[in-house]
Amino acid sequence: MEPSFNCNGIGRRNFLQLGFGALGGLGFTELLQRRAEAAKAKGTSTSNVNCILIWLDGGPSHYETFDPKPDAPADIRGEFKSIPTAIPGVHFSEILPTLAKIADKFAVVRSICHKDPNHGGGNHYLMTGAPTPVPVGCGAFVSYHPSFGSMVSHERGVRNGLPAYVSLPSMARSGGPNFLGAQHSPFVISGDPNQTGFRVRDVTLPADISEGRASSRNALLSSLDRMQRIQEAAAEDPLVGFDQSYKQGFNLLASQPAQAAFDLSKEPEAIRKLYGETDFGQRLLLARRLAEVGVSFTVAYWGGWDNHRTLFKTYREGFGQKLDQGLSGLIIDLEQRGMLDSTLVVCLGEFGRTPKVNKDAGRDHWPGAMSVFMAGAGIPKGAIIGATDPKGYYASENIYTPEDFAVSLYSKLGVDPHQTLHTNSGRPVQLVNGGRQIKELFV
Amino acid sequence: MLRFTPERQFLKASLFPLAGLLCLLATILGASASYGESTEAATPVSFLNEIMPRLTKAGCNAGACHSKPEGQNNFKLSVFGYDPQLDFNEIVNDARGRRVFFAAPEESLLLQKATGKLPHEGGSRFSEDSETYKTVLNWLRQGAPFDGPEVPRLSGITVNPGQVVLEPGASASLKVTASFSDGSTRDVTAMTLYASNDKDLVSVGETGELQAGKNRGEAVVVANYMGAVAVVRPVIPPHKRLSDADFKAAPVQNEADRFIYKRLEGLGILPSGLCSDAEFLRRSTLDCIGRLPTVEEATAFLADASPHKRSQWIGKILADPNYADHWAVKWGDLIRPNPVRVGVKPVYLLDLWLRDAFRQNLPYDVMVRELLTAQGSSHKSGPVAVIRDKREPVDASGFVSQIFLGVRMECAKCHHHPSEKWTQEDYFQLAAFFGKLRSRGQGISAPISGEAEIWWYDASGKGVTHPISEAVMVPKVPDGPEIPYVEGVDPRKQLVEWMVRPENPFFARAIVNRIWNEFLGKGIVDPVDDFRASNPPSNPELLDWLAADLTAHHYDLKHLMRTIMETAAYQRSSLPHPSNTADQRNFARSLRKRLPAEVLLDAVGDLTGSREAFGGLPPGARAVHTWNHRMGSDFMDAFGRPNASLECPCERERKPTVVQSLHLMNSPALQTKLAAPKGRVAGWVASAKPLEETVKEIYLAAYARYPDPSETQAAVAHLGREGASRNESMQDLVWALVNTAEFVFNH
Repeated sequence: MEPSFNCNGIGRRNFLQLGFGALGGLGFTELLQRRAEAAKAKGTSTSNVNCILIWLDGGPSHYETFDPKPDAPADIRGEFKSIPTAIPGVHFSEILPTLAKIADKFAVVRSICHKDPNHGGGNHYLMTGAPTPVPVGCGAFVSYHPSFGSMVSHERGVRNGLPAYVSLPSMARSGGPNFLGAQHSPFVISGDPNQTGFRVRDVTLPADISEGRASSRNALLSSLDRMQRIQEAAAEDPLVGFDQSYKQGFNLLASQPAQAAFDLSKEPEAIRKLYGETDFGQRLLLARRLAEVGVSFTVAYWGGWDNHRTLFKTYREGFGQKLDQGLSGLIIDLEQRGMLDSTLVVCLGEFGRTPKVNKDAGRDHWPGAMSVFMAGAGIPKGAIIGATDPKGYYASENIYTPEDFAVSLYSKLGVDPHQTLHTNSGRPVQLVNGGRQIKELFV
Repeated sequence: MLRFTPERQFLKASLFPLAGLLCLLATILGASASYGESTEAATPVSFLNEIMPRLTKAGCNAGACHSKPEGQNNFKLSVFGYDPQLDFNEIVNDARGRRVFFAAPEESLLLQKATGKLPHEGGSRFSEDSETYKTVLNWLRQGAPFDGPEVPRLSGITVNPGQVVLEPGASASLKVTASFSDGSTRDVTAMTLYASNDKDLVSVGETGELQAGKNRGEAVVVANYMGAVAVVRPVIPPHKRLSDADFKAAPVQNEADRFIYKRLEGLGILPSGLCSDAEFLRRSTLDCIGRLPTVEEATAFLADASPHKRSQWIGKILADPNYADHWAVKWGDLIRPNPVRVGVKPVYLLDLWLRDAFRQNLPYDVMVRELLTAQGSSHKSGPVAVIRDKREPVDASGFVSQIFLGVRMECAKCHHHPSEKWTQEDYFQLAAFFGKLRSRGQGISAPISGEAEIWWYDASGKGVTHPISEAVMVPKVPDGPEIPYVEGVDPRKQLVEWMVRPENPFFARAIVNRIWNEFLGKGIVDPVDDFRASNPPSNPELLDWLAADLTAHHYDLKHLMRTIMETAAYQRSSLPHPSNTADQRNFARSLRKRLPAEVLLDAVGDLTGSREAFGGLPPGARAVHTWNHRMGSDFMDAFGRPNASLECPCERERKPTVVQSLHLMNSPALQTKLAAPKGRVAGWVASAKPLEETVKEIYLAAYARYPDPSETQAAVAHLGREGASRNESMQDLVWALVNTAEFVFNH
């Protein structure tokens, strides 16, 4: 169905939503005014903070990353040693040596926890800030609530012709828009940026189309696109919006800085190496370049962190180093460029892992404790927030919920976490249901 | 629990003279009120009839305030007061009674907060000199009693005047009268909530004042008093009255056109002229079977001199094999469960069943019966996937009402529908039809749900209980009678028997409205699944006629589609007449629609002769053959196919986005299609025909029309450019056409 807008820009669907709201006691006029103000604010949100969210799907172990328990019995401690960090008294797992050295540049929240031990539910909770209303199975890819990225897209709209929400190299399980509408789905850039010949699809010309050919194509298009547009706004001709979307597209293609951003080969070799010459590392580099030109929210998705078996081997033979180098490279690079204050970097999965190492040298699902990495956008540098008990079973100090995490994330991005949205049937939904800022992140 | 049975008021548009309106007003002003008007301490204040409506009007129990799931500041009310007993306890007893203070009622937290004397996030909701304040205070003074059985209960409301005719800039007042179980009536104008669907046209104030703007047309104003709903449709009549003579030239193909003209006449809107043959050909083919007409089809159709050729063409496309796939995709959006939830095989079987149903042109009633009364193994019977997904009766209830009855009852699952009469009883009684199902097997075990599950009717099934009263629900159809369980009879069959009866008020209307919307781009009721008194059809006679015609033709969907495509309304130009520019509701001109994701991708595939490869489908498969939204396609994701993780039913976003334009301009996949060595573009490059002929063929393939001379000239000049390879020039020409509005839109 075509969303139709009357003269003051209120769509019929919006009316339905307003209608319900109005029945809730506010004067209809008052509501319309509020909605108009909200509409005005759309796309012009003043926050310049962009977000890079690194999603370690499956649930990384807190023991083997940011919350080692060297004094715990061996069957809990695991195979890895802990190492000191730049913060006196704080230890990380030995597989994150570079991050340990720069631990004074970011924060780790060790006390976020919840109760959903399933991937489907945990993904949803930590990707949207809302638990699933019904239990969902482990493999579920569900969406009951807009994801962080979709909401930021909804709030900010297209900036510089760029999609507001990008996901690399695929969408996270619960990374969808739900009732915000398909236009707030992530723009997915698949492929491995570490391969030669990698190109970002669509926002750049296809490989075999030269700029000269592109401009002759465009000239031909404008001479042949002859269907009559109905200019009167009251006619609500969808062709008007169609033309606008092309205009935005052309502007993006003509924008030198934007085009340069998509081309990783423009990056100095030293910087490419800083992130590690891996798919993950180069994705983070691409994410930084996207943030640089104004992409509001980029998810770097990395699956495979569900290590019920051979966890230590997996971490030792690749995962650890890739994560350590990529994430530290990103933080160092952002800081060097003066972008850290305007870029929120978050790295997490859906839960932590069981204290006891299982018979297969793996760890199982454990939402009682997890570590969330956060940096930039005023996140205090070198802060270790909250703690788990001495054996790492449960968050035990300054305990926070995923809702608190969501409130904090939205606050950092200038999105009101306590606003009310409306579903397609007009039902009011709190963007975040309750929750409070993780105060240590706002000092 | 209160039960409201307000009369549904479909008040028709009328050009009732103003004098009549005044008479009506006078009559109402004389209406009597039999109790409760007084706020003196001697008269008991009714919690249900005095306090609840006033707190509702003040917005206390609005969705964003104290009726949020977690309440607000620990004070939680039911949404729009659907559960007065709960609200009473919350106000009077909760938090050790701290909200009321009988020793000094003025000091009660309830009043202090609501008047803003104590800090209140919601601000001041009423002042100390308001009627509401006085009434609440009075009630507190009386000890804040709950109503005994002797207090009359609300039975419904009426709004007067029922018909309002205004001149631009004029105003009028509504008066809302509530009637009660003891036969008494009462003016509740000040306690009613109002909303207008078009406040530019007619706005409505807090106490029911209508104010016409400067435009002309018809608005819908909804009055809601404690869940009882009534509707008024104020009309600002056309400046210049049209007469039958103005419509003399307007063609009438069938009854539907007459109803449309009748409505347009009343609104002072003239229809646009008919579209060209080429437009009709492309439009109908895309709408009905989801593909472009071929060059051969277009050539033959345009050359055909028969006056009946449009009608003949409709017959031809209705018999086209692409028909079934196209409509199966549309229905997939509505009923297909998430394969990660119910399993891949059940979803695949459901898809096969759907395609087969459309291939056979199963009568719609038969199709719905098969779907809703399915039994057996999820790995053998497609329709079982639906019940496997909506496995709880409460889920089936919302699904059945929205998809097959066109009524969104989902709200009533948790609370009385905020703008409608549907109660939780309605919702759970509908669910009770699904309360006698049993299943055996592994159940849901995402992501694979690999094991089969068997579902069957079992008289010993546990039934459905009401979430608040915990009463066992007797099956009851919405707005209809209870249909108690009969031992040995699957209650779902009884539900479907009720649905498919010709006199059913929902079933046929819901489907004709859906199909009408697919063709005309706008439902007669819009959104299509939101039938309610407060969202009336734009043309009730048209809707009724189409529904009656469908039932008279045994729910033959192809008959319905033929009827729709034959109307002059469907065959109109998309260019506006000055009088219909601003109108999108009354079918005076054709509305332009962006092609849906699958259709557009197939159009690109047909034009270039090169197709996408979908994982799990044989090479050469069309986009309409994809049977779930997890089959990777950047193209279809960009063009708004529903997200695979979304809980359907899904309505597709058709707004153009920059992601779409960038994809059509730059996607390597499109470039690969244009450059395919065995593709159509390569064929045109190699063709020995004169360039003019090739351009003609490309235009027929893309637009189903011939190029005009200046287009031919521009295209030929482009192809003949010096220094450019013919191959590239040809690709660029087709690239350009794909990126035009004329290609991307159905018009």
